[in-house]
Amino acid sequence: MADKKAVVIKKKKESLWANTRKHVPYVIFALPAFLILFFIMYVPMGGIVMAFQDFKPFDGFFHSKFVGFDNFAFLFKSKSIFFRMTKNTLIYYVIFTGVGTFLNVVLAIALDQFVFKKAGRVMQTMMIVPIFISYAAVQFIVYAFIASDNGLINRVLGTSISFYSEAKYWPVIVTLTKIWNSVGYGSVLYMSVLAGIDTALYEAAQIDGANKWQQIWHITLPSLVPMITVMLLLSVGNIMRSDTGLFYQVTRNSGALYEWTQVIDSYVLDAILTNPNYGFTAAASLFQSTVGLVMMLIANATVKKISPENSLF
Amino acid sequence: MKAKADLRKEKKEKEFEPVEKGKKTFGQYVLGFFLLLYTLFCALPVLLVFIVAFTSEQAIQKNGFSFFPEEFSMNGMNSVLKYGTQLITSYGVTIFVVVVGTFLGLLTMSMYAYAISRPGFRLAKFLSIYLLIPMLFNGGQLAGYIVFTGYYHLKNSLLLLILPMCVTTMNVIILRTYIANSIPAELLEAAKIDGANEYKTFFGICLPLMKPSLAAVGFMMATAYWNDWQNAVLYIDKNAKKPLQLLLYNIQKNIDFLLNNNNVPQAVRDAMGGQIPKYSATMATVIVVIGPIMVAYPFFQKYFVKGLTVGSVKG
Repeated sequence: MADKKAVVIKKKKESLWANTRKHVPYVIFALPAFLILFFIMYVPMGGIVMAFQDFKPFDGFFHSKFVGFDNFAFLFKSKSIFFRMTKNTLIYYVIFTGVGTFLNVVLAIALDQFVFKKAGRVMQTMMIVPIFISYAAVQFIVYAFIASDNGLINRVLGTSISFYSEAKYWPVIVTLTKIWNSVGYGSVLYMSVLAGIDTALYEAAQIDGANKWQQIWHITLPSLVPMITVMLLLSVGNIMRSDTGLFYQVTRNSGALYEWTQVIDSYVLDAILTNPNYGFTAAASLFQSTVGLVMMLIANATVKKISPENSLF
Repeated sequence: MKAKADLRKEKKEKEFEPVEKGKKTFGQYVLGFFLLLYTLFCALPVLLVFIVAFTSEQAIQKNGFSFFPEEFSMNGMNSVLKYGTQLITSYGVTIFVVVVGTFLGLLTMSMYAYAISRPGFRLAKFLSIYLLIPMLFNGGQLAGYIVFTGYYHLKNSLLLLILPMCVTTMNVIILRTYIANSIPAELLEAAKIDGANEYKTFFGICLPLMKPSLAAVGFMMATAYWNDWQNAVLYIDKNAKKPLQLLLYNIQKNIDFLLNNNNVPQAVRDAMGGQIPKYSATMATVIVVIGPIMVAYPFFQKYFVKGLTVGSVKG
């Protein structure tokens, strides 16, 4: 009876086991990366149990006491820390994405329209350089500008503002640093789209008497819209993530600035380095991961609807 | 009829050539001016690092950081060279991590990408989902830290600088897309018919054809490894295993320590010896750390531009 059934299935489709046996080399090809992912990404996922434990490093995951949702209750009750870091994470996501996308597009169009191509290329090379400087190094550059005693800004203005202890300046400092760091690089993607626009479109527009601005408005911008949409949607999946280096290194992790600089990622890093409240930190991480997961699924589903070939899965 | 059409085309060309994209109008110079401004915004901070590195310490104390220093000096650079062995050790660590990590990552990821792009391999579907999940959800930094140090006992192991950044979902997707779109399936089939086994087909035919995508992904990986400070801060505290970025991080910690403790006794300052950070020396260290990338990047620019473009399209 069982044999008969197996034969029937085999006729329709060979079993997964038989198929795998036939393709042993592929399994071997996949194995190394599979194992790396398993030990580096999958095993730590088990660590989310910490969010439900009164975790003690000595007891480990297996012997720490379970406390249900106490950590989350504590997390949501701790208004100052939890709300501050969530607020900052979200605010900077919105600012960076909004300002960043706008500038990426403007810069891409500007470079594309610029007729001195050689000069344009040299300038672009210089604009991209900052992305290759690690934040560990960037923080010294920022320091040179804003140090209270020797800083360029204070010396030029003749003031002695101590930027590292006044939070109110940091939304601007952080945003400028981020723009400096990433806009040149970010525009490359949009430039590759612009390079693909059929020049016949521009010629036709010129025949119709359209000036440069009208051409940009009616041809260039619309052709960028799909890419902008996709990039925006995909970035939504990272809504709870921030550039840890920007908020941890550039701010020198100065406690006086937390009001405007502490994000979830930098909080977690700081917690690990300075004896964490394990349950609390794990709960914050789980909150971050879960919101990220939901946003990513929504975003991907939306991209799939608008432009299937750009969806991630 | 045909001649008429040609004539019209000719006329069109003549008429509209002057307003083609290439005309150097006044507007172009204005545009150039703004582009130049933004270029300066990007480049001047980097230039400042170089100037400060060669400014004398007295000039910095007197006038602050400046693009036009009163007095130049080689002291900064000299004191960096005095770091001597630690600097060489750190360079060695960083280069080791960059080379091994990039090589290992490219090899394992392209093998994985090849496997999941094979038609008729039914496990591929599962492997694709297995690859996607870590991008959607992860245990967080703290869980990683506890597992890596508490259960794997890898504190101070270079493996923790290499493995966490070695296999990333996005890079495998880029490589898989490239295999699916740019390597003709017929070629791989033909190799098999000629008697090449799977290993020969992949290493002998597929991998060499993947060069453009390997260069793009490889360059992005190498810069990520070079610039990684976070794993080093978390996992490394032995001098013999400190990468360059951690050296920078430690210098900053020392500066903070001295700034926040004005009453540090002279004895302690002396004990810190060469570690007492001078601004020019600090900036000189920054140059030493970012220098190689600055030099290498223009040569690789075309590759990573390609990598970005490849990555934006899914197969």
